[in-house]
Amino acid sequence: MSETLLYHQALNRALDESMAADDSVFILGEDVGLYGGSYRVTEGLYAKYGEWRVRDTPISEGSFTGLGVGAALTGMRPVVEIMTINFALLALDAIVNMATKIPFMSGGQFPMPLVIRTPGGVARQLAAQHSQRLEQMLMNVPGMRIAVPSTPQDAYWQLKQAIQSDEAIFLLEHELLYFSEGTVDTRMPPPPMHRALVRREGDAITLLAYSRMVLLAEQAAHRLVEMGIDAEVIDLRSLRPIDWRTCIQSVGKTHHALVIEEDHRFSGAGAEIVAQLTEHCFNDLDAPVGRVAGLDLPAPYNGRLEALTLPDTDRIVDAAVRLLEE
Amino acid sequence: MSLHPVHMPGLSDTMQSGRLVRWLKKPGDAVHKGEALAEIESDKAIMDLEAFDDGYLAGPLAKEEADYPVGATLAWISDEADSHHGNTFTAPSKEHRPAPAETVPSSPPEVHDDSGLHHRQNASHAGPTGTPGSAPASPRARALARELGIDLGRLQPGPGGIIKSPQVIAAALRGPEPDLDAGPPWRYKLLTPMRRSIADNMTATLHTPCFHATTRLHLDALSDQARTEGQSLSLLLARALALSVARHPEFNAVWTPQGLAVRQRVDIGIAVELPGGLVTPVVRDMAQRPWKTLEKDWQRLRHLARQQRLRAEDYLGATVYLSNLGMFPSVERFQALLPLGASAILAIAAARDGQAEATLTADHRVVYGADAARFLQTLGACVKDPQALIRA
Repeated sequence: MSETLLYHQALNRALDESMAADDSVFILGEDVGLYGGSYRVTEGLYAKYGEWRVRDTPISEGSFTGLGVGAALTGMRPVVEIMTINFALLALDAIVNMATKIPFMSGGQFPMPLVIRTPGGVARQLAAQHSQRLEQMLMNVPGMRIAVPSTPQDAYWQLKQAIQSDEAIFLLEHELLYFSEGTVDTRMPPPPMHRALVRREGDAITLLAYSRMVLLAEQAAHRLVEMGIDAEVIDLRSLRPIDWRTCIQSVGKTHHALVIEEDHRFSGAGAEIVAQLTEHCFNDLDAPVGRVAGLDLPAPYNGRLEALTLPDTDRIVDAAVRLLEE
Repeated sequence: MSLHPVHMPGLSDTMQSGRLVRWLKKPGDAVHKGEALAEIESDKAIMDLEAFDDGYLAGPLAKEEADYPVGATLAWISDEADSHHGNTFTAPSKEHRPAPAETVPSSPPEVHDDSGLHHRQNASHAGPTGTPGSAPASPRARALARELGIDLGRLQPGPGGIIKSPQVIAAALRGPEPDLDAGPPWRYKLLTPMRRSIADNMTATLHTPCFHATTRLHLDALSDQARTEGQSLSLLLARALALSVARHPEFNAVWTPQGLAVRQRVDIGIAVELPGGLVTPVVRDMAQRPWKTLEKDWQRLRHLARQQRLRAEDYLGATVYLSNLGMFPSVERFQALLPLGASAILAIAAARDGQAEATLTADHRVVYGADAARFLQTLGACVKDPQALIRA
């Protein structure tokens, strides 16, 4: 059954269905209860499931994320909401030293059915400390899965899959996606959580993107078509692991690839994608794999300057055209 | 002051690069929108490069007699008359500096001399450009070349100066190339856009299954009339051809995998020799229009052809062609290659004792032997009655 939902509504639906189906699922975080979540993701759940299953916590990311880790060790399925990824830095000990290590160091005796949800990325004029994209830090941590839904459908599917999984999963949302609209089919069987999806087929160049950048890549592809360039758009959907097979198949067809990321260009997710594609597709490439990425500086508060540090459709179109001409 | 770049225009769907023939304006000259700045030679025609805006032409101007990829910056239009850009030939920015495209294979090492010709040196005295076969090529181009047995050193790079997979695939489709090292020393002569375009068109004919049928045409009456009335014999023959096509409409069709494309009008292409090549101006609607308008059209087309100023719509799209070598008495008969998109081409040799051999080359997917026989009978009758040709 498909209906039109906003991204935050799709996440809410996934939480609601998961909590109804499984008593061990519960929510932890700042303002998730009475207030309904900073971005309304947990709206109505406090009233429906009560304060024991939707728990407002003190402003202390380290402690409540650690609490989530401990609950997961005992067989609960906690969903921890961290208000923004910027605050997740305070919880890195619980995430990196505990959640991703305990299953490994216990020889698999302890599962880690923990979900950490948080929005990342640049919203509008929230200044440098609240505009970070820290996915590349967690990408380098073995034992962590990172899902990056770009559509309400994926937000619904991937959160449900994350809750059902016995591994620690980081669900990276985006502040500018919460109010984006899309069709959600709750009955359709989901693709595997880490599967990359081809959002648009084309044979001239592969645009690889994740999270909000997928929307920009799709807009760029429409403009490229008008210029006679048939671009393929791949939504990675997962940053750890990355579905290389889908990426490699596409590059085998287009012989050109451009990675679009909101994160800083230096040592970002794009760097890993370029390296892997070069290793796997070297003989299929007609040009070096290109990158359109955020500039290497903290996000400026000034709105016009802030916009200049980020990829936009013009820059993607321009980079694609130049990559094909080079 | 603001500067706007003047680009090499894309004059047709297939044009990848064009030759800058000469500048018609100097830096600092006032130019008006639509005014010709330079002459550009594309596939077969020379066309004007028009100013897109009012202003003053500013340097640096791209070099004349060189090839540039479509989109390359050739010059600038400034909104101020006395900009220093206009006279000092400084490039406004590095990334916009015009770069002539390679027109000959860039490796093995070669020597440029003043004649514009290029010699290839023996590999034993490699020049300053490095080892033979060192043309930059993409990884995919290299892998494909290995697989297909293509020598990258003999390929011409694409628009960016790099050999990419399309160039390797094109080389593989072209078939093997002769090994020049085995014979006497040689030098490369630059391919003009016309020669390259004709070569491409001729290669494109290879996939058409053709047959030939030869007849003798009685041309006495036609030649007499051409002489006394000052009419073009080629045009009279083309008219006879057009009227025959009108009587045998099965000839006015093009084979495509989707079906025969049956044309609604008889357009005849007439081969014309030019210095360094040939071109086939097309006279439209040759079966229906009055003779006088055809003559006027033909004069215009020949004039444009001689100046190499035919536009694509002047020389593309005929269904039946005429190639006349009648002015060379030593030619007894010859066969013409059938251009892609045509059903038939008629090759007319020199007349002897009032008769000229004419050989029809036809696409066997469109028409058959008996069709050709009937067609040639009609044509034979047509040329015997020249009055009917100009009356019809």
